[in-house]
Amino acid sequence: MAKISNRFWFMLHGWVSLPIWILFSFICLTGTVAVLSHELTWLTNPAARATNPNELPAKPVDELMLVVEKAYPNAQVMGAMTLEPYLVNAITFTDADKPYAIAYVNQYTGEIQQINEGLTFIGFMRSLHGWLLFPWQSGYSVGYYLVCSMALLMLASLVTGLIVYKRFWRSFFAPKLRLTQGKKTLLSDLHKLSGVWSIWFIAIMSLTGLWYLVQAIFWHADIDIESHAPMIAAEQVPLMQAGDTQLPSANVSFTEALSLAKQRFPDFQPSYVMLPEHQRDMYHLSGSGDHIFYDQYSYSLSINPWTGEIASATSPETMTGMQTLMHIADPLHYGTLGGIWTKLIWFFFGLVLSGMSITGFMMWGLRHVRAFKQAETKDLAADMIGETR
Amino acid sequence: MASSIFWLKHKYKLSGLILILPFVFLYQSLSPSFPPAWPSQQLGEFKIAPMPLDLKAPYKHHDDYVKDFMLIFEQGDVAHIRQGYANIGPEALPLEALQKGENGVLHGSKHGQHVHAITGAKLAATDSLWVSIQNWQGEWLVSQWPIPEAVLVQ
Repeated sequence: MAKISNRFWFMLHGWVSLPIWILFSFICLTGTVAVLSHELTWLTNPAARATNPNELPAKPVDELMLVVEKAYPNAQVMGAMTLEPYLVNAITFTDADKPYAIAYVNQYTGEIQQINEGLTFIGFMRSLHGWLLFPWQSGYSVGYYLVCSMALLMLASLVTGLIVYKRFWRSFFAPKLRLTQGKKTLLSDLHKLSGVWSIWFIAIMSLTGLWYLVQAIFWHADIDIESHAPMIAAEQVPLMQAGDTQLPSANVSFTEALSLAKQRFPDFQPSYVMLPEHQRDMYHLSGSGDHIFYDQYSYSLSINPWTGEIASATSPETMTGMQTLMHIADPLHYGTLGGIWTKLIWFFFGLVLSGMSITGFMMWGLRHVRAFKQAETKDLAADMIGETR
Repeated sequence: MASSIFWLKHKYKLSGLILILPFVFLYQSLSPSFPPAWPSQQLGEFKIAPMPLDLKAPYKHHDDYVKDFMLIFEQGDVAHIRQGYANIGPEALPLEALQKGENGVLHGSKHGQHVHAITGAKLAATDSLWVSIQNWQGEWLVSQWPIPEAVLVQ
C-alpha cells in the first residue's frame, strides 16, 4: 500500500476543520454553556433555587401539582419535571390566559416561586446548541442535521491531527508550552497540547454526536427506537348510564399511579411525568434509577388511569441495544453522569475544544500572513500601474 | 487578483454566516403567526372554530398523512368529550378507523385542543375537515368544514 505523506494528512486536517471553524466554535461554546445551564439558572434566578433552610424532605410531585391547582383554580396541570435537588420542580400547566406556563415550585416548602410563560434559559441553550433553533418540520430539523454532522468532521480532525502529530503521547508525560518563542510557536503548542489532553473528550463528543445523527435519521424516517405507549381501548372508557349525574372519572389517581411505578421499580425517581391529554391517554412517567450511566428518563411507564394496568414499562434491564445507546448518550455528551463535578470537567474541556478551533484558525492565519501581505503589495503596485496608464 | 486574495483571506469565515439564521428563527418563534381560524360551527353543546397551524401540505406521521389544527372551543366543556377525532377527506372516517391509532385524536387541555387530523398525501377540492365527537352518553356529533382555497393551493 502506498504511503500517504504527512503533508496530505496535514492538508486533510485543515480541510475538515478550517471551513467550518466559526460554526464549530459556536456549537462548542453553546454546548459548553448548556452543560452548566442548570447551575447558571440557579446562579442568576433566585426564584429557581430550591432553598431548604429547615432541612425538610422533598414533597412528592403529585403534592406539588396540587399546590398549583389550588393557587390557580382555573388552570389545568399537564405534567411536571424534577431537576437537580437544588433547583425547583417545574410544574407545567395551561390557563385561560396562559397557553403554556411553568410554575417553579419549591419541593421542600411547597411554595410557588415563579410563573414562567416563555422559553427557559435551559431550554434555549439546549435548543441553540442542539439545532441552532432551526425549525422542526415533519420530524426533522436542518439545524439538527447540521450540528450532528459536525461529529463526522470532529472525528476526522481528531484522527488526522493525531496522525500529523507524531508521538503525540509524549504530551502526556512531557507537556510542552513554549511561551517566549513567538506567537506561532505558542499557538502550535497550545493547539497540540489541548488536542492531546482532549482526546477522550473529542472521542466522546464525536461518538455521541454520531449517535445523534443516527437518531435524527430514524426520526426523519418515522422509525421509533422506543415504541409509543399504547392507547387505551375505547371499551375501557366508560359511558354514562341512565340516571348517572356525574361524569365518569379515572379510577386510578396520579398519586396511585406514582405508587404503582414505585412498586414496579423500587428505585424509581420521577423526572418527567405527564397527565393524560384525553380520555384514551395514560399517565406517562419517566424517571431515573440507580444506573449512573443512564439518563433521567431510563425508566418509563405508561399506566392506564381507568384500570391501573401498567400498559408498558421499560428499564435499563429490558432495553434493546439502540434504546441503551439512546439513554446513555446524553449523560456522556453533557457530562451529567457524576453530578456537578463531571459537569465542571465537561465545561472545562468544552472551552478547550472551542479554543482549539480558534487556535487552529489563528495558526492558519499566521502561516499565510506573509503570503497575503506580499500578494496585497503586488496587487497595489499592479493597480497603481493600471491607473497611471 | 485583489479579489482572489480577499477570498483566500476570508473564505474560512463564511460558515459564520449560518449563525445569522438562529437569530431569525428565534425572532420567528417569539412572534408566531397562524392562518385565520375557520368559521365556527355548533356540534351539540360545542361551538368549534378550527385553525390550521400552517398552510403547508400534510406531512407523514406514523403511517398516516396528517395536518395539524388547533380547535378553538367557543362554547362547551371539553370535559364532556368521551372521545373526539378529526380527519380530512370526502367523508368522516368510520369509528373503527379513527380508533386504531393516536393520529386524529383530539388532545390537550381544557384551554386548547389540538389534533393531527388524518388526511391523504394531498388535499383535494372535494375534501372537508370532519370533526367527530362522542359525548359521555355515547352520542356521536359530526361537523364538516370545506377546505378553503388558501389551504388547497399548498
